[in-house]
Amino acid sequence: MICRLTVNGTPWEGDVPPRLTLADLLRDHLQLTGTHLGCEQGVCGACTVLCDGEAVRSCLMLAVQADGRSLTTVEGLDADPDAAALRDALVAGRGLQCGFCTPGFLLSALALRRADPPVDPARVPELLAGNICRCTGYGPIVAAVRAWLG
Amino acid sequence: MARLDAGTAARLARGGGRYLADLRVPGCLEAAFVRSPLPHARVGAARFHDGRGLTAADLGLHPLVATGPGLAGAPWIPLGGGRARYVGEPLAVVWAADRYQAEDLVDAAQLELEPLPPDEPLHSQAPTGVLFETTLEGGDVDAALRAADLVLEGRFHCARQTPFPLETRGVLAHPDPGTGVLTVWTSTQIPDLVRAGLARCLGLPEARLRVRVPQVGGGFGVKAHLFAEEVAVAALALRLGQPVRWIEDRQEHLAASAHAHDAVVRLRVGVTREGRILGVDADLTADVGAYSIWPFSASLEPMTAASSLFGAYAVGALRCRTRARSSARCPVGAQRGVGVTVGVHATERMVDRIARRLSIDPLELRRRNAVPACPWTSPIGRALDSGDYPRLLATLAAAAGYDALRAEQHRARAAGRLLGVGLALFNEHSGTGTQDYRRRGIDTIPGWDQSRVRVPADGRIEVATSAADAGQGHADTYRLLAAEVLGVAPERVEVVEGDTDRCPPGTGTFTSRGAVGVLESLVQALRAAAATDLAPGTDIVRRADAEQVYPSGAHLAVVEVDPVGWRPRVLRYVAVEDCGTIIHPEVVAGQVRGGVAMGIGNVLLEEHAYDADGQIQTATLLDYLVPLATDIPEVELHHLTSPSPRTTLGSKGVGEAGTIGAFGAVANAVADAVAPLGAELDTLPYSPQRIFAAVERARAGLPPARPGQ
Ligand code: FES
Ligand code: FES
Repeated sequence: MICRLTVNGTPWEGDVPPRLTLADLLRDHLQLTGTHLGCEQGVCGACTVLCDGEAVRSCLMLAVQADGRSLTTVEGLDADPDAAALRDALVAGRGLQCGFCTPGFLLSALALRRADPPVDPARVPELLAGNICRCTGYGPIVAAVRAWLG
Repeated sequence: MARLDAGTAARLARGGGRYLADLRVPGCLEAAFVRSPLPHARVGAARFHDGRGLTAADLGLHPLVATGPGLAGAPWIPLGGGRARYVGEPLAVVWAADRYQAEDLVDAAQLELEPLPPDEPLHSQAPTGVLFETTLEGGDVDAALRAADLVLEGRFHCARQTPFPLETRGVLAHPDPGTGVLTVWTSTQIPDLVRAGLARCLGLPEARLRVRVPQVGGGFGVKAHLFAEEVAVAALALRLGQPVRWIEDRQEHLAASAHAHDAVVRLRVGVTREGRILGVDADLTADVGAYSIWPFSASLEPMTAASSLFGAYAVGALRCRTRARSSARCPVGAQRGVGVTVGVHATERMVDRIARRLSIDPLELRRRNAVPACPWTSPIGRALDSGDYPRLLATLAAAAGYDALRAEQHRARAAGRLLGVGLALFNEHSGTGTQDYRRRGIDTIPGWDQSRVRVPADGRIEVATSAADAGQGHADTYRLLAAEVLGVAPERVEVVEGDTDRCPPGTGTFTSRGAVGVLESLVQALRAAAATDLAPGTDIVRRADAEQVYPSGAHLAVVEVDPVGWRPRVLRYVAVEDCGTIIHPEVVAGQVRGGVAMGIGNVLLEEHAYDADGQIQTATLLDYLVPLATDIPEVELHHLTSPSPRTTLGSKGVGEAGTIGAFGAVANAVADAVAPLGAELDTLPYSPQRIFAAVERARAGLPPARPGQ
């Protein structure tokens, strides 16, 4: 099926198998391997990307469902100074060790920034409870996101 | 020392990590595995669509046998060798241009399976199912129990769990027809051991294999084994003469990578009325699943658990009868803290039980029994190199405000809240060396580590070690250390790990080797290099065979259990660590925080379950629960530093301490929270269901439940 979408500001068009997931489209067809697959069960959040500004799990979405939409992946964050600031804060605060969860956390957190009404920083742990990190114990991630939202 | 270079982290945060699934090799085929739907079966004829499928016999894979005292000599058999021994076991490999098509081939594959009766032995070498058996004993235990004012008993069970790195396993094998060398990229903590095992399974000289490790998304022990999928993908790539890759999915990971624990510890402890522990008589049975896993064998967890019992306490006599039994379940291997978590859970719960029985405050009881001074040799011969246990307790009490906490708990209880305070005092052994492995009868693990400092013609300084970074960040530490010792800018130093061609062979990265043996060999190599002029051509290799060292710690957790849903929540966590000299504080803090979080998950949430038919019930993340940001409090971290005399820098390792401490402190805090209701907890995880059941039993006046017997 023909699928047209915009990824990190660049339009893309291609013929994709109907059963191809959005994650595999990004990773295998567009070589955007910063979107990671930790479970393919919709639980770990590692595959989170923004679809028209909203956080979605790219392992649960088919590529064809993204037809006509605009996507942001971790590779697109340089274009957004606010997003880049969060990323730098996470690095500076040692909010990552193995880094496998990091792109997912960044995109989940970015979606929080866009929430209206603004989110209460005290609720950050709950709001990030859709992403799993097995290395850091979450503390430094929560602290970096809180400070950035603050 | 300079601040950690954020280069690696910054690259990872940009999505620039090249993990196994991100490697791109032209013409690479995708493999998938046909897995057993039955716990125990004979495998008959196999038919594959288009002939694109191969079994163990087709590939001519050799089994591996770990031998040693107490081991039955049951083999580890890649792809089952004509038998299926657990649900999810890989029995055949198929391949296609992409994973979607490969999975179609899995669906189309027809394997004749003849179910075998559940009581049929899995291995002819172990007709009774006992894969390993031994007794550790020191001091006169029977006399100690006779001399005791009272003998208390307990039975403690650690659930079957799994390390769960966020990145699953994966392997990519790439043959080079020109040189005849097969390059095997794999997400592992033990590249040299994988190469050795692969060579034996494939019947190839090691020189024909190069094992490389890409960026690894966490290991925590599970990536410290050789897996059937690694062997099969390597064999397939050789057979087809083409690159082949396999990326594990989460369901495969949960059902069929390696599990851990599932161990029952029974204790009889003799104490005086003043609360002095005189002797311990223990019995430990671990269900280690279908195979004696390679290279650690079935002795790994049971031996480690047994030898860690009452390790921080001055006990005069200790005996532990220990055995590992097989079952038609996923094999059990290493998980952060290995068996020490099992031993510390049993020990610390028992110490609290003694305190309660004698009406002595748990902190005071620990003070009375803690190892008074180091060096100290336990009755079973653990020679503690360093540490100050009384000071650990004093520091913890001060840092946590122990007396005020107890007062607060008193008020909370009066107000009807279920608030518990739990303590743990523990040590662990790390950096296990050659002698220790030989003593334990494990001859498949070298035990020594190596480092190499090389100056190529371009003047860079290449530091290569036998470690493999699974995301702990020790490569950054090594680089800074090298820069400091050699007096050069960190930018000039390149750390090379995880490549059997470029790195000197060694043992890999587990039991905090990265801070002990590997670090020792690195320090030696760097000092030797510093004595030279670092001219191009310099090439220095140093080997270190570490003696065991004993990091220690004292932890405290505050837990509240909600009296309606029975959900336990950790409100506060205080950790005092003694990992000797701290090489890099940020890495240490990260390891402890992450370790505590894993321990909280292990104690409160995580459990693999099988039904009566041997089917795994926990192959998704909706069934196997790992902790989320809402489950973990801030960890208050304090340090004591008693440098080890057994390493040049005095460091002892800190990779497992956070997890081990939580197995005592969190477990005791939950138990303390519900103690006023008469509920007794002894089976991990201390989940709402288990707490509720324990409370109900107490209310009905029944003795504690005994699941898993
Ligand atoms: S990979 Fe999509 S949620 Fe885990
Ligand atoms: S940094 Fe490894 S999973 Fe989060």
